[in-house]
Amino acid sequence: MALQNEDKLEVGYSSLQPKPKKWVLLMLRLLAFFATAAATVVMGLNKETKTLVVATVGTTPIKATLIAKFQHTPAFVFFVIANGLASIHNLVMIMGDLFGQKLDYKGLRLAMIAILDMMTVALISGGASAAAFMAELGKNGNSHARWNSICDKYKTFCDHGGGALIASFAGLILMLIISVMSIIKLLIKPKPDSTIVVP
Amino acid sequence: MVKPKRLLRLLLRIIVLGSTLAAVIIMATSHEKGTFFALSYEAKYSDTPAFKFFVIANAIVTVYAFLVLFIPSESQLWGLVLALDLVFTMLLISSISAALAVAQVGKKGNSSAGWLPVCGQVTKYCNQVTGALVAGFIAIITYIILLLYSIYTFLNPLLGKNG
Repeated sequence: MALQNEDKLEVGYSSLQPKPKKWVLLMLRLLAFFATAAATVVMGLNKETKTLVVATVGTTPIKATLIAKFQHTPAFVFFVIANGLASIHNLVMIMGDLFGQKLDYKGLRLAMIAILDMMTVALISGGASAAAFMAELGKNGNSHARWNSICDKYKTFCDHGGGALIASFAGLILMLIISVMSIIKLLIKPKPDSTIVVP
Repeated sequence: MVKPKRLLRLLLRIIVLGSTLAAVIIMATSHEKGTFFALSYEAKYSDTPAFKFFVIANAIVTVYAFLVLFIPSESQLWGLVLALDLVFTMLLISSISAALAVAQVGKKGNSSAGWLPVCGQVTKYCNQVTGALVAGFIAIITYIILLLYSIYTFLNPLLGKNG
């Protein structure tokens, strides 16, 4: 009798559980994937070339080409790598959600998902924050250190960088929500052992 | 009466408190005046927004870690503490990442932007900022260990209570 009740409870729970929350989580992951992928791509392709006429020898002007690339700044390199890893993480999680529901390792599936989500949040927050402060430095300069702002000379570079930053911060907020939802899923899942508590 | 798992958590929190406090103090007292080719300049941490953010974030975590030490061990608040731990870990990682990015430019310069490194002129300031960043690193690594450990004990309430 008790076993039948438990069976009914199990079946009832598993048919109620996935539907609304699973789609919400999947949509959030998809949005986060798009946000971080957009940030990676926009910053990765961020490059601006300016040619200046430096001197005139006779009638031919000597041009100097100045290039602003994201690779010049280690903070932006970290930004691209962090967002790239985050989008790969989201992609793998989406694939796992859609196609790999049965994959499990000693019952630790939800714990691994929660921990990986937290690590990704940490990664994105580090990358976005470093790039944001470097961008602020580029925009305002630092008069105490005699560093001039570069945004008036490289306007497109700064604009694209700003766009990538906004996308990354949106991705960060989404990943934070996803991480909290993963942890909640982890904490409220009924454990089979918890019914056998005999201290 | 003090269980070893709770003792470990307490110890980790004290380490976090100590290192964030050290980071705040070292960064806030970094200050150097000097002359550079007849120009007198002054280097303070408040010149750079990234360092200000670092000081503020570490100060918030110091106060929080201090308050958490006083929560009784079986209270309901530990769930909230876990959630706040996650948020504050993210805050600490942001702050140290930003401070490190700007400090790296200060040390190595950025030739493509025409920014010269300033560490040569303000060596004492640079060393103190480096010290504050090291303290911040210790804080964040300890905090991550604490966070993972808290989640682990939260997930295994049987293990957690039996110490």
